[in-house]
Amino acid sequence: MAKHSDDQRLELLQGTLDMLILRTLQWGSQHGHGIGQAIRAQSDELLKVETGSLYPALHRLVKRGWLKAEWGVSEANQRAKYYQLTAAGKAQLSRERDRWSQLVDAIGRIMNPAAAGEE
Amino acid sequence: MAPDIDDLDDEIRGHLAISIKQRIERGEDPSAARLAALKEFGNVTLTRDSIRRVWRHRWIDAAEALGRDIRFAVRSLLRVKGLAATVIVTLALGIGANAAIFSVVRGVLLRPLVNRDEDRLIYIRQSGPGIGAQNMTFSVPEVKDLRSRVRTLSAVGEFSTVDFTLIGLGGDPRVVKAGVVDGSFFDVMGLRPVLGRLVTMQDDGPKAAGVAVLTYRFWSISLDSDPSVVGRTIRLGPRTATVIGVLEPSVPYPADTEIIANVVTSPHHLSATMETNRSHRMTELFGRLAPGTSIDAARAELSTVHAAIMREHPESYASKANVQVTVSKLRDQIASPARTILIVLLAAAAVVFVIACSNVANLILARSVRREGELAVRAALGAGTGALRRTLLAESLVLCAAGAMLGLLLARPFVAAVASYAGRFSIRALDVTVDSSVLWVGAALAIAAAVVLAYVPRLPSPHAPAGLGLATGVRITPGTNRRLRLFATTQIALSFVLLAGAGMLLATLVAMQTANTGVDMRRVLAFDVPTSASGAGMGDPKVINFYQETARRIGQLPGVDQVALSMLVPWRDRFGPGIGFGVDGYTPANGEENPRARFRVVSPSYFAVLGLPLIEGRDFTDADRRGSELVAIVSQSLAQRLFPNGDALNRHMWWIDDYFGRVVVPRRIVGIVADLDDENIVQGPAMAVYQPVQQIGVVGRVLVHAAGDPYSLVPAVRRVVREMSADQPVERAATLEDVRAELLSPDRLNAFVFSGFAGIALLIAVVGVAGVLAFSVSARTREFGIRLAVGSAPRHVLGRVLGEGAVIAAIGVAAGAVGGYLLAEVSTRFFADARLPGAVPVLGSTAVLIAAAVAASLMPAARASRVDVLQALRSE
Repeated sequence: MAKHSDDQRLELLQGTLDMLILRTLQWGSQHGHGIGQAIRAQSDELLKVETGSLYPALHRLVKRGWLKAEWGVSEANQRAKYYQLTAAGKAQLSRERDRWSQLVDAIGRIMNPAAAGEE
Repeated sequence: MAPDIDDLDDEIRGHLAISIKQRIERGEDPSAARLAALKEFGNVTLTRDSIRRVWRHRWIDAAEALGRDIRFAVRSLLRVKGLAATVIVTLALGIGANAAIFSVVRGVLLRPLVNRDEDRLIYIRQSGPGIGAQNMTFSVPEVKDLRSRVRTLSAVGEFSTVDFTLIGLGGDPRVVKAGVVDGSFFDVMGLRPVLGRLVTMQDDGPKAAGVAVLTYRFWSISLDSDPSVVGRTIRLGPRTATVIGVLEPSVPYPADTEIIANVVTSPHHLSATMETNRSHRMTELFGRLAPGTSIDAARAELSTVHAAIMREHPESYASKANVQVTVSKLRDQIASPARTILIVLLAAAAVVFVIACSNVANLILARSVRREGELAVRAALGAGTGALRRTLLAESLVLCAAGAMLGLLLARPFVAAVASYAGRFSIRALDVTVDSSVLWVGAALAIAAAVVLAYVPRLPSPHAPAGLGLATGVRITPGTNRRLRLFATTQIALSFVLLAGAGMLLATLVAMQTANTGVDMRRVLAFDVPTSASGAGMGDPKVINFYQETARRIGQLPGVDQVALSMLVPWRDRFGPGIGFGVDGYTPANGEENPRARFRVVSPSYFAVLGLPLIEGRDFTDADRRGSELVAIVSQSLAQRLFPNGDALNRHMWWIDDYFGRVVVPRRIVGIVADLDDENIVQGPAMAVYQPVQQIGVVGRVLVHAAGDPYSLVPAVRRVVREMSADQPVERAATLEDVRAELLSPDRLNAFVFSGFAGIALLIAVVGVAGVLAFSVSARTREFGIRLAVGSAPRHVLGRVLGEGAVIAAIGVAAGAVGGYLLAEVSTRFFADARLPGAVPVLGSTAVLIAAAVAASLMPAARASRVDVLQALRSE
């Protein structure tokens, strides 16, 4: 079932969960369970989002106005709350994407100076 | 919007359902799938709570954190009970005094009156600043003119005060102060009856029946709120009146009277003098602004109309009097006498509050230095600046809230004391009570203090080497030391201002109390035996005979040395300003005004009763009667000023004033008597002209010189008068000593209240200085240990600490003197009678403060000189 054992799984860096949620919703609306599964699947099971973190994060993003939520019926014929990016959420996603690539770049230079020099 | 509980539960249920369904689709057993899904989800309750927390307002989080901090603060303050108690009591004094004074200020100056539409109600006053007449009132012809010409007022009401002898409401015949009003008065004032009806237009005119309204205070206090008084007939002097109603509780203005009657009850109001003499003024005027007009419009119109009236009747308005009319809202008019005193009190209370705060700041600062170690540890463990600040804020909030609560408890008796004090200046102060505004003021002051105090201590700097702060022991940085001393100096400086002010008032009081009047104050007993009772006119021979016979019979009573009659009791009764007169042999220089003298009417032996020596000539005798030669006795300073060569005797003088008509009536000066300033307790030169009772006929006061205890004569004197006339009131028996005491009571109260404030301030300042030095000594144990170890004598150490206390006090006094001087300079711009204290109060306050500071430093100094050398050196 799981491709990785628990100790191989990666802890999410603080603050990155919001960005991942926004990214997951980029192409359409999804409910909480679906978002969690998508993050896990797209990271090849390396990242597992705890529901205890996922739902507060979703609500936080709604509160900030980056997501909006409405009730719908899931593929399993269940009533579920669907989350969707707002315009402000899209703008936030692109900001976070920029910030993330800068951070990766900067950390990469430190961790791997030679590689950075070759570029 | 935040989702509700059901919404969250639905969402979580949906999540689980999807998860279970997917597992079942992958082939898991339904019950295993369910368990796995629940296990994967984790703690449902916890998740739900954290979602809800997302939606919670951040203020709630902050409040929760503050709650934790406050519990922590209470625990940590309980460990330093002494300090906490000092802080709380100090703050309570400051907050209590302020809350009390504020509620009195609000009640007296800001609260609306009960009168209907009270902000449309105005008071109109005629004054003559040129002759020192602050309130000339109006005459009937003036009121008629104003009524017919003024358009900005919808109605005008008249009120005048007269004395009636009241018979018929229980008790002895009494002279009562009564208001006489026209029919529009109550309508203009917007007052309602609580019982019966009030005086209306139908009660106007000389043909109406006499009616009287009782004021609420009189009815409820003297008559036990007896409803059956309405309809009763009472006697007011020679006339009768029916009680028609009781007025609702309201501020009595311009006079606190027991009854208010219509015009017909007062014979004087129907006389020709009253009706036609433009200069015969005794009516107060009130007006109601017409709809749509402002008070400014009314003011402008009234002064234009008044100016026109003055031009039409120049003979009634002396140009030097500079007669003018002023208009003010009734509420402001009632408040005005109390305004200055209340503002001064408010300022004094604010100063006490500042002193209290700076003292508390000192204590808190000292405490925070002691706990620098604790703060450093907490900072090292990751507490941010905000969290540390919050801890400090919580502590000061706890302290200030406790102080405020205690202060509000104190405020109740404070309010009672201040209100009865302010009641002497404004009648409205009497019904001031502690209300919710006190709570708001208390809370606001407490919060202000708490915020300030939380920012007093410095937090451990993140850049400072942590080791130093973590080390045990207390070190005072020069900055902290400076701040401690600054606060202590502030307290001394402000206390000095209050002490010097209180000292000034005390000095004035002492000067007045010890002033020598030249009169045997203790042995002279004065009675009011008013003439108004008989209703007979001035100079009626029957009246004079009555008084002469009364005096003769009183003189025969055992224990009576001598008896005299007079028109007024010295220091108690007033007879307006001096009156102009002429005298042969003295011509005023060109442009100079006629000399003025006090108009006095006395019987023979008046001077003997008071103990005033005759300098020259003779006293009046019974032969100085109506029909014989008109005579006068003048005071010494009058004789000396007008006749420096000492030839005043036997010259003739005459009054020059409208009051006496235009006829010159010369009187021969038969005597010169020592000065008696019967208007001021501190004696000044007094120009006075005395005339015999029998020739003028104005009388009404009896003065008795007693051989023994004066008050034991009161029943006998009253009996003698009653035997002569059963309806004759005999009132206000008092020795001149007690008359003076009564006169001084406002000064005594002023001195008392300000001394109270100064005392509180001094106490707080002493605690402050002692606290600073005690702290400084305990922090310098090592220094003193070294000093003693290298051979300093203990008394040098002692002197050094005492010196520090004296230096703080000296700097404080100097700062206070400079500040106080500037303050006095500024306040003279706002208060005409502000003045600087003399040398004695200033030097006295300085001495008191320095002595207090030195006394306060004694204990810390003694401790410094007894430091155990070995222990001190080993302690670090």
